[in-house]
Amino acid sequence: MNANAIKLAAIAAFGLVGASAANAQTIQGAGATFPAPLYQRWAQEFGRETNIRVNYQAIGSGGGIKNITARAVDFGASDGPMNPTELASAPGVLHIPMVAGAVAVAYNVPGVPQGIKLTGPVVADIYLGKITTWNDPQITGLNPGVNFPNARIVPCFRADSSGTTAIFTNYLAKVSASFQGGPGEGKSIRWPVGFGGKGNDGVSALLRQNRGAIGYVEVAYANKNKLTYAHIKNAKGNFIEPSLESATAAAEGAKLPSDFRAFITNSMAPQAYPITGFTWILIYPDAKPEVKKFLTWALTTGQKSAPALEYAPLPEAVRTRALKAIGQ
Amino acid sequence: MSTQNLAPETLSHDALSKRDGNLVGRQFKNNLMLGLCIVAAGIGLLSLFLVLYFLASQGLRYMSWNLFTKLPDAVEPKLGGVANSLLGTLLLLLGACLFALPIGILGGIYQLEAKGPFANLVRFMTDVLNGIPSIVIGIFVYAVWVYPVSQSNPGKGFSVFAGAFALGIMMIPLIMRTTEEMLRLVPGTMREASLGLGATRWRTMWSVVLPIAKGGVITGIMLSLARVAGETAPLLFTILGSEFYPSMQPVNFLGMSFSIPVFNEPVDALPLRVYKYASGPDTDQNNQAWATALILISLVLIFSVAARFATKSNIEEK
Repeated sequence: MNANAIKLAAIAAFGLVGASAANAQTIQGAGATFPAPLYQRWAQEFGRETNIRVNYQAIGSGGGIKNITARAVDFGASDGPMNPTELASAPGVLHIPMVAGAVAVAYNVPGVPQGIKLTGPVVADIYLGKITTWNDPQITGLNPGVNFPNARIVPCFRADSSGTTAIFTNYLAKVSASFQGGPGEGKSIRWPVGFGGKGNDGVSALLRQNRGAIGYVEVAYANKNKLTYAHIKNAKGNFIEPSLESATAAAEGAKLPSDFRAFITNSMAPQAYPITGFTWILIYPDAKPEVKKFLTWALTTGQKSAPALEYAPLPEAVRTRALKAIGQ
Repeated sequence: MSTQNLAPETLSHDALSKRDGNLVGRQFKNNLMLGLCIVAAGIGLLSLFLVLYFLASQGLRYMSWNLFTKLPDAVEPKLGGVANSLLGTLLLLLGACLFALPIGILGGIYQLEAKGPFANLVRFMTDVLNGIPSIVIGIFVYAVWVYPVSQSNPGKGFSVFAGAFALGIMMIPLIMRTTEEMLRLVPGTMREASLGLGATRWRTMWSVVLPIAKGGVITGIMLSLARVAGETAPLLFTILGSEFYPSMQPVNFLGMSFSIPVFNEPVDALPLRVYKYASGPDTDQNNQAWATALILISLVLIFSVAARFATKSNIEEK
């Protein structure tokens, strides 16, 4: 702290400091807000072990894809795989899966406890504007014993181009024909109802500020911000809480193609949380050695700190393949 | 009061009495307008006072030494600081000055001295530049600097250079205009005296006109710095943001070796940090946003006070 104070004073006063400053390498990354808490922790741990500084800016998956395409950053990050049009403008770009995470359906309804039960079609109808109050029979029917107020539902979504949106809408489109035929899926879609927030942070803030709000955020954000969230009925009919275990169950059952680009929502595993997705780091094959060193570290040592933040480590088979992809 | 000064010359008795009848109405109008002016000035002052008061009351509560000495902490936001953002803002302003000062001052001299259609065009274009929304300047710099540089140097496009370039573009018209105005205030007799003694136009400008206008020109520079220090929009597209101090690079200069911050890497800035922290859900970061905003306002205030000081010393010299 003291050294920093002196350094600050010196630079502020003279615009230069003594040659003692360590000449660390910095690599620049930007993208998804979904894994940002984990990436920032990785940056801190990796920075202590090596002399490489990892600067990760959470600007949203769309921004991450745009910036790696323009090579404005050393690595991008996204939780929705790049679509064919995006791939065409970034030839050769690699998707390296890092961890899997669950997207929680969080709500702020005074008097309603944590862990109400919801199904995919009900969530889809809420976002389609078909279910508009919290005491709608479709919601109360799933939750006998819970006293819902006659309050308006305020759906909240991501205003920016977002991988979290991609995972969420991919799931809704799978379970609701009218959602697929209406808004459809993607990183940025036209929502029929609701309010937009920027980043997982922005949606979390909307949820905290608005009574009756419902929104989708990465489960780490929901926990960090003490939001209440629902258990969602999965493909096998079980109501599952978004958690490390249920995200892991979804990831374990996943089959990934050779370029790792795939959604794993609505998993068939009995204990899997249905709104789960991988998050990828995007690099060009000619990325700097420091970047590859960081990714290799993240897929080995780094995986150990994922569970503490509620992210599911990669299944062993996927991890081995991912390491091989970096090495190429 | 002013009505009394309008002495009636050869007005008839009727006209005079009619005028007296108007006097009450005029005085009423006068007082009404005066009152409205006072109210308007009061509202202006009050809103400034309210902003400052609100910011100070919130910001001071969360102000801490850590803010000035520590980097942001991803794991424990409460223990983090914004030292990197403060440093980044100072670096950006330094870079913007290096770029905008010569162009702004020389441009101001040109606008004073040059006549003709081209000079008028330049003057008009300066005003247009002054009116361009700052976000557009950000996108422009992204297109001409960030993107092209990234193609040959991945990860080096977002940089102090790009941010300083964007802020500099915003400063140029401000400096140009104030420089021109200040030079125009220098009495023509001074200039003529210098020219009459056989000095060249260049010598007259450099040794006579500029030194007299110095205080005013510095005021213009300070005000333009205060103006751009709080800009967020042009930085969104140009500096990316950073969680670290700027990297240092050793240089050798005149046999001395020391380190200077590198200009070709992403950097953080106070307004960007306020935006990031204020819109987030983390209460500690929300609180730090207040304190950071207060730091930013103080910085702007320092520039404004410095501007005042520069003008004052100039007046005293005269």
